[in-house]
Order: sequence, then structure tokens, then C-alpha cells
Amino acid sequence: MKNDYSNFTLQEMMAVAAAREITDGEKVIIGTGLPLLGAFLAQKTHAPNMVAIYESGAIDCKPLVTPFSVADSVLVPGSAMQGGLMEGLGVVHAGELDLGFLGGAQIDKYGNLNTHVIGDYRNPRVRFAGSGGSNDIGAGCKRTIVMMLHQKQRFPEKVDFVTTPGYFGGGKERETYGFFGNGPSAVISTLGILRFDPDTREMYLESYHPGVTVEQVKENTGWDLKISPSVRETKRPDPELIRILREDLDPTGVFLGKK
Amino acid sequence: MKTSKVMTAREAVSKYIGDGMTVAVGGFFHSISYALTHEIIRQKKQHLTICQPSFNDHADQMIGAGCVDRIVSSYVWMEVFGPLYCFRRAMEKGIPRKIEMEDYTNFAVMARYLAGSLGIPYIPLHSMKGSDMMNYRAWNGDKKAVLMKDPFGSGHDHVLVPALNPDVGYFHCQRADEEGNSQMWGIWGDMPWSMRACKEVIVSCEEIVTREQIGRDPNRTIVPGYKVVAVVHEPFGAHPKHCQGFYDVDRDFIFKYIRESATEDGWKKYMDEWVYGVADRTEYAQKFVNAFGMKKFLDLKAKDMMSTSVNYGF
Repeated sequence: MKNDYSNFTLQEMMAVAAAREITDGEKVIIGTGLPLLGAFLAQKTHAPNMVAIYESGAIDCKPLVTPFSVADSVLVPGSAMQGGLMEGLGVVHAGELDLGFLGGAQIDKYGNLNTHVIGDYRNPRVRFAGSGGSNDIGAGCKRTIVMMLHQKQRFPEKVDFVTTPGYFGGGKERETYGFFGNGPSAVISTLGILRFDPDTREMYLESYHPGVTVEQVKENTGWDLKISPSVRETKRPDPELIRILREDLDPTGVFLGKK
Repeated sequence: MKTSKVMTAREAVSKYIGDGMTVAVGGFFHSISYALTHEIIRQKKQHLTICQPSFNDHADQMIGAGCVDRIVSSYVWMEVFGPLYCFRRAMEKGIPRKIEMEDYTNFAVMARYLAGSLGIPYIPLHSMKGSDMMNYRAWNGDKKAVLMKDPFGSGHDHVLVPALNPDVGYFHCQRADEEGNSQMWGIWGDMPWSMRACKEVIVSCEEIVTREQIGRDPNRTIVPGYKVVAVVHEPFGAHPKHCQGFYDVDRDFIFKYIRESATEDGWKKYMDEWVYGVADRTEYAQKFVNAFGMKKFLDLKAKDMMSTSVNYGF
């Protein structure tokens, strides 16, 4: 069903949801995979003036081909500026960027992220990559969007290790640290879109993706997840967006699955 | 004409990298010197502390080979390609030996290099604050990072990290002259700050050019020759990574490494074939062509996308 753009996968739904979070003219630091597709989808549609920045030091990139990794050689030709980590992450550290995309092995009730270990730090059951630029982006970008695989063990009440602080223990705790960044504004998971209560900073379900139920989201979350009183289905992607994703941004199906 | 520093990888590594040294590896995914990394492994260097903001499979290979005791970094992984199994085996099970990692953020390692390159003892940061990287420390203990009240009155605490000045650093770039003046374009990664913070620097490069050619475009020079102790001519020296303008990343080869290194036996077989089994980079390139064909080799070659030149006249 290659040309049926009214059908879509959950991954495509997530890429479209990521694109919707971007406002035109924003300076955005992009990772790989779905955030990357979401950001370039936004740039091709409602946010042509978005400034795409990579931690590898590519600033305002307009790649001819969708890059595979954050340090891809296709990012370089056509960029407004090319430097290194000092340039790419220096602007993040200085608080100049509007939005950063993050991911992780675990996220908790208050949006704290873990990309270090499962189990004890000194004798880990599973050791992951570490922070990379994640903590820098969380501290420096005005807001962050977290893209997550929604499973119970990935959404525990408390993460095993705080790599990138979200709202710490909730309430006004984050504000006492004096970061440029205000914390995560949304979690786009494989099951829905979650946001944070402006007072308690606790995560709640705003919408569930088409084909998913509220019960399913609750079952796959490691605490008693609060549900918005106005919870609804996530707005379905316009077929034109699915066409751009499949035909223009990922024609070989590297990110969205082989055709 | 100053003395030429051109030598083989074998000479450079044996002369300038000693057991127990703190070694900076330059680059960020792009333009990593596998030529020098593999020579370190072949020479069985021991007890190294390796430093880089983000490490990939080159660190994994040194870890698996037992060259590494300590890592100063924010990241050891193969990005979207997948996990690195020697790193995980070492961290989770102590195979082949227990190693330690001093966990920072990508920018924090850059900041440590920046301080090191400027000759200042420490530098304040926004990153790391409130994270468990402040609560868990490896061998640096209290000296990993310090939380200090801003003496200039912002009212906030800041994280201070110490300068990082490795004994030696090595990196790969497009071209250098015989004195070591090195020019790099595309993704600089941790350059130039990492190499400027090192006491001595070894460069491997795709091309050796004249001093006169370097002087025609001095803004492109990333490390001045006086820092450099050895210049190693290693075409294809960053494979399986890319070197802008020369060749692209070899995704198939990276996936192959991840697949085969998933077991200890598979890793050993890979290393016997691609590292221990070749004498140098020339043999490696020849082996690559024999194994995968000239077409694959040429497919990796970069297209021409030339920049316009600028007028340096006065």
C-alpha cells in the first residue's frame, strides 16, 4: 500500500507529532531518527525559517539527503556554518536555542531522563552510552521534547540514574537551579503525547495515538499516570505529510522501515 | 625548511605513546584516526586513560584489546548503529578487565579541553548540575567536578570542572605539511580544543602538502605545527568513518563490526582479521579491496563539491 498516504504507522505519527511541536523561526537542535524526520518535515511545511542545528557543529543545515547520523557528511555542504562540538553545543550552553530533542532508556514521572545505566551505577545490569549532549541540551535549550518507546520499564516512577534532569521532584524545584532551559514540554511516546502539569510538574496523558487506548497507556506506565480531563485521540496526520515523509525524507525507508 | 616530522604509524606510536599515558583521541564520529588506533592495539599499549567527548567503536576496540583502564568521556556507543559490546562487557562484567569511566557531558569534556588549552585550572558550567553525574564519581573523586557558589553574585551555584591536559593526542585530518601544520574541514568534532590542550600531538592525514600550500589558506589550519611531534601519511586512515571530501562513512562495515563484536569470539575473529592480521593501513586498504571489491571502495569515494576560493591579498 505504498501510495496510500491516509494510512500511517505509529512511527510516522510520532514524526508528525514532533514536527507539530516546532514553531516557524525557532532554533532547534536535532538528534537522529524520528526527531530528525520531524524537524525536516516541519522545515518543509509550516516552519521554513526553522534554524536546524546539530551538536556536530552544523548550523542552519539544508542537507540534500536526509542525514543518517548527527555527524553525517551530508550535513556539511549547504550549511550556513560548520564548526565542531564547541560551536554546536556552545550555543546550547549559552541558552540561545529554543528547542532540543531528547530520548533515553528511562523517563520518570517528573521528566527526569536516564541514558546511563539500568541497575546500580557501579555494577550495572545494563550500561548505556552516557549523557552525550543530552544533559547539555536539557540544561540549555528553552524547552525539550522527549521521544520514547512507551513500555512500563522505560516509564518507572523514579529513574535509576538522573542523566538529564527534568523537573527533579516536581513543583518549583527546577527553578532553583538557574538553568537557561525550562525543562521538558512534551513526551512523544509510541502510545501518545504526554505533558507536564504547570504546578506539580507531574506528567499526564494529553492524547493517545490512533488505535491506542487510555488503558493501554496506563498499563505501560510505571506509576498511576494522570489523564487529562480533555484527553482525546492524537490528531491524525494529514496524508500530504505522510507523503513527504515517505517520498521526500525517507525514500529508502531507513528510518520508517524498509518498503 | 624545518625538520620533517613525517614517520610511519608504527614509529609514531612506539615513540610517543607510552603505557599508562593519558591519551586524547580527536574527532567526533567524522575523521577518527583508525590508522593510529589500530597501531596502538597492535603494539599492545597498556593502562591508558583515553579521552574524547564521544567515543565510538575505536574505543570499543581498544577496550576489548585490554589497552584501556580509564575513560574520560560522555558517551561510548555507536550512535544509531547500536551498542558497543566490548564497552558493555567491560563495564558490566569486567571482561577483559574492569574499567572505569569518569562520566561527563559532551560539552563538559569540551570545556575541560578549553580550560586546558587556555592554561586555566578550571571552568564553570551550567551542564551536569543536579544530575547523578555529580553524585557518582570514579577515580577523580572530589576532583571530578565541584559545585561552587557564583562569587560574582548570580545567586546560583555553578559546576566547576578541571582543565584536561592529556600527555598526548592524536587525530586524523585531510592534509598536513611535514612540520605538522594540519588543516581540517567538515565536522571538526572536539577540534581544535582537544589537541591544543595536549602536550604533544600526532596527526594522521589523507595528504601531505607543502608548507607553501598551507600558507595559502591559513584560516583552515586547526593545529599549528609546533604542537605536532609526528606526521603520519595514512590515506583511508579514518575508515570506516568518513573524511569530508575524501570518502563517506561505511555503514555496512560499522554494522558488520557491531554484529560480529556481540560475542567475545566474534570480536576476536574480527580483530584477527582487520587489526592484528594486517601490518599497517596500506595492507588494510588492500585487504578491504580484496574482500569487498574495487567497486565498493570507489563507491565510498566522495563526490566533488568544491568551495569557492577567497582572496587573502593585502
